[in-house]
Amino acid sequence: MATDVQVLQRPTLSEGITAFFRSPRAVPYLLLMPAMIVILAVVLVPLLVSFWTSFTSYNLTRPDTLYNFVGLRNYQRLLGNDEFWWAFGRTFLFVTITLNVEMMLGLGLALLVNKITYGQRALRTIMMFPMMFSPILVGFQFKYIFNDSIGLVNNALFDLGLITQPIPWLVDGTLANFSIMFAEVWMSTSIFAILLLAGLMALPKEPIEAAKVDGCNPWQVFRHITLPFLMPFVYIAMTIRSLDVARAYDMIRIMTNGGPAGRTELIWTLMTRTGYQNSQMGAANAMGYVSIILSIVFTFYFYRKLTAARTFMGGAQ
Amino acid sequence: MATKYLARALLASCALTALVGSVAAQEFDYGSFPGYTLQVKLIGGTQYEKLYTRIPEWEALTGAKVEIVSSKNHFDLDREIKQDIATGQITWCLGSNHTSFAPQYGDLYIDLTSMIPGEELAKYVPGTLASAMVDGRLVQLPRVTDVSNLYYRKDLYEDPAKMEAYKAEFGTDLAPPKTFDELKQQIIFFADPPNLYGTAFAGKDEGMSGRFMEILRANGGDLFDENWNPIFNSPEGVAALQWFKDIYDAGAVPAGTVNYTWDDIGQAMAAGQLAVDLDWPGFAGFYSDPAASKISDVLGFAVSPVGSAGVRGGWSGSHSFSVTEACDNKEAAVSLAVFLTNDESAMMEAQAGNLPTRSATFGEVVQYFNENGKTALAEMFPIWEASLADARTPPLIPQWIEVSNVLWPQLQAAIVGEKTPQEALDQAADDARVILEDAGIL
Repeated sequence: MATDVQVLQRPTLSEGITAFFRSPRAVPYLLLMPAMIVILAVVLVPLLVSFWTSFTSYNLTRPDTLYNFVGLRNYQRLLGNDEFWWAFGRTFLFVTITLNVEMMLGLGLALLVNKITYGQRALRTIMMFPMMFSPILVGFQFKYIFNDSIGLVNNALFDLGLITQPIPWLVDGTLANFSIMFAEVWMSTSIFAILLLAGLMALPKEPIEAAKVDGCNPWQVFRHITLPFLMPFVYIAMTIRSLDVARAYDMIRIMTNGGPAGRTELIWTLMTRTGYQNSQMGAANAMGYVSIILSIVFTFYFYRKLTAARTFMGGAQ
Repeated sequence: MATKYLARALLASCALTALVGSVAAQEFDYGSFPGYTLQVKLIGGTQYEKLYTRIPEWEALTGAKVEIVSSKNHFDLDREIKQDIATGQITWCLGSNHTSFAPQYGDLYIDLTSMIPGEELAKYVPGTLASAMVDGRLVQLPRVTDVSNLYYRKDLYEDPAKMEAYKAEFGTDLAPPKTFDELKQQIIFFADPPNLYGTAFAGKDEGMSGRFMEILRANGGDLFDENWNPIFNSPEGVAALQWFKDIYDAGAVPAGTVNYTWDDIGQAMAAGQLAVDLDWPGFAGFYSDPAASKISDVLGFAVSPVGSAGVRGGWSGSHSFSVTEACDNKEAAVSLAVFLTNDESAMMEAQAGNLPTRSATFGEVVQYFNENGKTALAEMFPIWEASLADARTPPLIPQWIEVSNVLWPQLQAAIVGEKTPQEALDQAADDARVILEDAGIL
């Protein structure tokens, strides 16, 4: 009887862990462990460290300030910082406008290229050229194109007799924002075009042929067959691009560096100046965590739309 | 504040002079380091890299090898060095530095006075060496100096029609300006956009802050008082900012100048689009090169104008080399730093039009220019050398770049008309105060 009691005794924690890892139930976890360790090391740890620094006065050139806890001071300062909130709003506008313009143009390009029967591969390759340029090069290129005194645009307008005084493309608030959006759209529209073209190429022919047999005109086919089928691709592209528009930092750094007078300041130019030039990494990380709201909003919105689009597709099929 | 800086510079110069005693023409011992590999981080770019062709000579002399672990423009290099400090990864020995950046790096670099004999230090221009010191420590060995003076197009100043029109309008002869008011007057007078602008200025980053500081000091003002209170929102500061605003509002500068940096200005001047250019000595070689510049045969030089206080702002700084405290062979690193700034190296840099940091090189390079038909550069060097007497660096505090970063966007805001100069400077002064309070300086 006494022996039976000993057998029923609960194993210790270490014995439990050992038993678990020796059991077949541990296999999935063991297989996933290398990936989990890598993710912890390269994502979670830096994330936690940067989150901690946003509550400190961490200065890059004075590593000891990493432990100088200042509570919510960085966040409080941000709340009252007009410059930051203007940059925040401008970034929201920048992402919204460029994403929509890129999507519309990308869709148009994809539809056109999809119609081509000869030389489509060559065109697809040419279409990808802007993506191959470094954003810094694109920045220099458009800084030159929009330069008010020696730029291509103004020179062309002068030669055509359309202007008598140079247009300050990179100075005027509206024009400067237009110019950097133009550069961003030029560089990234092809990403949308390629992704949507992939969607078009995967489009089943039967529903389209059936619709044509039923007497639908091309617009009706596009509106009720092609577009609903493409929408998941559109939202996936939008989600990826909304997170990726941050690449525009290099380009804007070269074209205007957020100026003049903060007219083209986006969160990324402001954060980089604060973190790297001013060495105030604590304050810059606080900006980063507030600006994550923006990414979450865009990602949440596009995922909801994506789910809805897939549900619709399921219903349509 | 001006007196304070002057006094500091003089004290530092005197200290160095006392340290070195009499100047002796003794050769520096570059040492022997066979088998040792020296890791260095150097500023990249065409104008800086020619000097590095001398590195194999040093390798042959000492038996050591040099491994360039990073070569970037100075802003990227600055960012990388800060990351190294943050991560504690100071695995390299010698790095490019600049007088504007040096105060930020704390105790990253050694005091070179303990490693370089006084007689060797005596060969450097005393004022330049003094401005290379941070908190009384010589943390960098200067390789070239920058001080800005005027480049102008002689053909415009000697054009009879323009001379007559100028005389009729202002009652004085058309000649290179002696004051900033006169410079403004001439900038507006010459402007004939879009083909010709009076000038262009660096309108962002430290270029904007520095040029403002220069005119502010020339007007008798300064950035900070003796207790580091920001005082650039003074009447002298407002007048300095108004100077930029006036030429901008008159359309005498390209509207895009608020986004320009040095290269943009250099290109515009070389293309013959600017009448005058207040700029660094490094551009002289470019402007006087017929293959690259349209103004090579009409290039004139004049010393920088004075402000309303009758003095020059003399914004100055030096590119330099520093040796890290963490270096495992400081002797080798110091040896290379001295080698890359010695008389031969200084001559190589000066021949490209840069202002050298060794006293002996000034005379030698002018002789070289005269003998090689480079008369424009021979004419330019004495003017730039003379202006070194008024040269002053930005405040040598770690927070200078940070203060500059709150200053230039406000200067831009006033120039493009979003704020009045007083409003813009008041805002910048408030922001600068917060920075200095946070740093414990105020």
